[in-house]
Amino acid sequence: MKQSVVVIALFAAVMAALPGFLGDNPYIADILITILMMASLASAWNIVGGYAGQFSFGHAAYFGAGAYTTSILLTTLNPGIPVSIAAGVLVSCVIALLTGTIVFRLRGHYFALASIAVAEIVRLTVLNLDITGGAQGILVTKVSFGSLDLNSKVPFYYAMLFLLLVTLGISALIYRSRTGYYLLAIREDQDAAASLGINLYLFKNIALVISAAIASVAGSIYAVYISFIDTSTVLPLRLSIEIILTTIIGGIGTLWGPVLGAVLLVSLAEALRSNMIGEYLVNTGMVSEGSATGAFLKSNLAHAHVLVYGIITVLCILGLPKGILGFFRRKGEA
Amino acid sequence: MKYMFFVITAAFMLLLALPVQGTGPVKIGFINSITGKEAQIGENLTNGAAMAVDDLKSKGIQIVMVQEDDGGDPKNALAAYEKLVTRDRVIGVVGPYTSASANVVASRADQYQVPLLVPAAAKEEITMKGYKNVFRLNAPADVYSKVLLNTIAPYRPKTIAYVYAATDFGVSTVKTAQLNAAAMGLKEVASEKYQQGQPDYRATLAKIKAIQPDLVFLVSYDADAILLMRQAKEIGLTPNAFLGAGAGYTTAQFASQQDISSLVISATQWTDDVNWPGAADFAVRYKARFGKQPTYHAACTYEAVRIMALSALNSKSPQALCATLKAGSWNGIMGPVRFINYSGYTNQNNHPMLVQQLQSGKYETVYPSQFSRKKLVYPYNR
Amino acid sequence: MLFFQSLISGILIGGVYALAAMGMSLVFGVMNISNFAHGELMMLGMYMAYYLFTLLNIDPFLSLLIIMPLTFVFGYVIEKTMIDRVMDHPSENQILLTVGFGLIMSNSALLAFTSDPKILTTSYSSSSIALPGGISVSIPMLLSFLVTCILTAALYLFLAKSRTGMALRATSQNREAAQLMGINVSRMSAIAFGTGTLLAASAGAMIAQTYYIDPFAGHIFLLKSFTICVLGGLGSVIGAGIGGIIIGLAEAMSSAYLSSDWKDVLVFILFLAILLLRPQGLFGKKGEQ
Repeated sequence: MKQSVVVIALFAAVMAALPGFLGDNPYIADILITILMMASLASAWNIVGGYAGQFSFGHAAYFGAGAYTTSILLTTLNPGIPVSIAAGVLVSCVIALLTGTIVFRLRGHYFALASIAVAEIVRLTVLNLDITGGAQGILVTKVSFGSLDLNSKVPFYYAMLFLLLVTLGISALIYRSRTGYYLLAIREDQDAAASLGINLYLFKNIALVISAAIASVAGSIYAVYISFIDTSTVLPLRLSIEIILTTIIGGIGTLWGPVLGAVLLVSLAEALRSNMIGEYLVNTGMVSEGSATGAFLKSNLAHAHVLVYGIITVLCILGLPKGILGFFRRKGEA
Repeated sequence: MKYMFFVITAAFMLLLALPVQGTGPVKIGFINSITGKEAQIGENLTNGAAMAVDDLKSKGIQIVMVQEDDGGDPKNALAAYEKLVTRDRVIGVVGPYTSASANVVASRADQYQVPLLVPAAAKEEITMKGYKNVFRLNAPADVYSKVLLNTIAPYRPKTIAYVYAATDFGVSTVKTAQLNAAAMGLKEVASEKYQQGQPDYRATLAKIKAIQPDLVFLVSYDADAILLMRQAKEIGLTPNAFLGAGAGYTTAQFASQQDISSLVISATQWTDDVNWPGAADFAVRYKARFGKQPTYHAACTYEAVRIMALSALNSKSPQALCATLKAGSWNGIMGPVRFINYSGYTNQNNHPMLVQQLQSGKYETVYPSQFSRKKLVYPYNR
Repeated sequence: MLFFQSLISGILIGGVYALAAMGMSLVFGVMNISNFAHGELMMLGMYMAYYLFTLLNIDPFLSLLIIMPLTFVFGYVIEKTMIDRVMDHPSENQILLTVGFGLIMSNSALLAFTSDPKILTTSYSSSSIALPGGISVSIPMLLSFLVTCILTAALYLFLAKSRTGMALRATSQNREAAQLMGINVSRMSAIAFGTGTLLAASAGAMIAQTYYIDPFAGHIFLLKSFTICVLGGLGSVIGAGIGGIIIGLAEAMSSAYLSSDWKDVLVFILFLAILLLRPQGLFGKKGEQ
């Protein structure tokens, strides 16, 4: 426990000081904010997926519920950002409890498929209602919070950092608590856990509600940060899958795995999206721009970045089934 | 081994952080949906932009265009814009394609003060917020329904049914269509929103057939247009006119399906038979290079990149470029272009949209009258 | 009239759903894997049918004879080289592997064929038979339905009567016991995945004639197939066949009598209801897990 506290504190200090070194670079700040957001989401998922072993494929629903509740409130009643975020958490927790009571009766594949179904129902409902802006989405502008400059990246960086630290703190606490032991017992063998008197529904729901609340706050911050949301950006199945992928590639069931996964996957996706690797090879003179390879790197790689991402995913799952942290842990023990 | 991962990660971050070196020719950015669900239309934009750059090059005008993919996601579009502005130091940006992405990037353009020229996104809101650095070449969504209904108004139809994609463009277009139709005294008898990508719309179309509306107003921007018309023919849905808004009804592929697409009326930003300078020539050269007819997205992007490049050449700084765009006027394949303020819009090109009808497999412009060569065939009768 | 029209088009489109879902159900039953690349396997079939028709002028229904063996081999090889390695891994890893494989397939298709949608137009693409009362029956859909029935019957006979079929069913019922009985379960997995690929690609080839073809065209069928599999009972091939028709009907009827935008919500609610009230599905024998 002490060790975790020290490492988290060290991480907090480094991350808090980071913007000072980067100076005014909004592009890098944006990537860092995305990394912090994915790290929070993956850590939140890790509580229910990694500790309790319940593989929810519908976490986008909680992220989206937070984003939508906050945006709707800010553009209508405008009770201020904190109240709007809290309202988002409330809505997400209600959805989580409803989902939990329905889908936690199921196990394995059935649970995974049911969680997708719930998330799709949420997405389609938002798409068909008027209050949510339907397919047109919501543009969140003219929001203010005290004297903070919300056009700058700094407040969002620290907001996401704070969320991640809280998430890591909660994860570390749960892991060492009685609840944590119960969750691990449920993950290892549900029937054995039940026969020991562990209330399966109660503890699975506790894990899910905590996880949903964190995802919801991330969604709320995202909505204010990007200032526009629609169903294809905050509620897609793709987002749910990305959250799981981040956790698994980093190391499922570990404290720092989700963070490591977010750092790697977000920077990789951005480097591929902006074709930075091809551009780097051309700019450093390794490949001439006029040559066939140069032309390929410049034009075709732009189409292929998701392909490369897919190949890396498959290689990681095949080569590092326990994630990067899991891989080292095993090596260390041997 | 453990350290290797940190080294790789650090290398990535460093790669992202390094600004691009060197000062060469004028640099502009281009944000587009190359991958993702909007990639089908994005490809036309890519082609149009590539042709514009090559045409300028052949005239001895050297510009560098940095291309970015947003995958149809506004978050990526914003990251791309910020990268272009702060890392690549471009002085102007063309794009993004989708309304959602354009909306988000537009809201930040005044903060970075680097002009954004939107080539083809239709959402009205983009140029209605008074942003100084946001310009739009194409006509916004409300014009689609306005020109279509104006074309048909002289024939005094009485009832209208809507079938439209559950997307931003579909919903916005139908909302304005409902206002315009109400002003004309048209009675709405059905309104069916559909999810894109479904294979079967027969039950929905059969429902509309039972009501027998005079007009069927469709909004689709992909190949689902062909699907809908195919199934409409199969079911035997025959209103007096099919009105198509959205790119799905203006493609060469749609025109080639003569037995289902004949006499469909559609709204478009551009056709090659209008007497705008270079329009016909552009179509011929585009077809020779890419092996297909240019869509209006390709033409809009071609002209947007050309305008942005020519203006950037004389400007050297984003602020000066903004002033050049604001003051300038151009006359190319999209007709006369000027970015003006009118009825709530800021820096919006008041582009006249065209209405065309497919007559024996060819798009014929039927509205407005100064551009039309053929007469509208009404009622629809196959 | 509206009722009968919706009834007929619901059943016909349900046939295509059924074929796609049967492939998924077979894979699930034998291998206990949820295949998230199923839509991409359908997309493969669509492009094959398209190019066989436009380049070699082979009618899409005839081209099934070429597509089926090729895709079987493709599926067999993919199982042996990729999925076989994660058979003992946790199910979320298996799911993510198929997600990654799907990304590779759809984005390779994007590079190879571009995102331009392809339209397969045969001489009978939009022709229909007019029944009394103004009801029309699409000819390509009717033919697809007949082919689906033949394939279903063939699959049923294969599973019920052939040695391999019985071994597949034994593996599906109890993998360990099957192995102890001397069945090569690893080979059964590859055969199941090959057959699943074949069925998905056939469904793709048939829908291609009335749909459009692009690298992401299979996506819409993925969640539908899952829903149908659960409805019919995960692993039950016949259940998937009947489940497909039920979903096709539910969609058509809700478009006709409710509104087309809520029909998917209705399908998912139906899905959850089945999961809760009868988790083994309408025709499944296995219980939870």
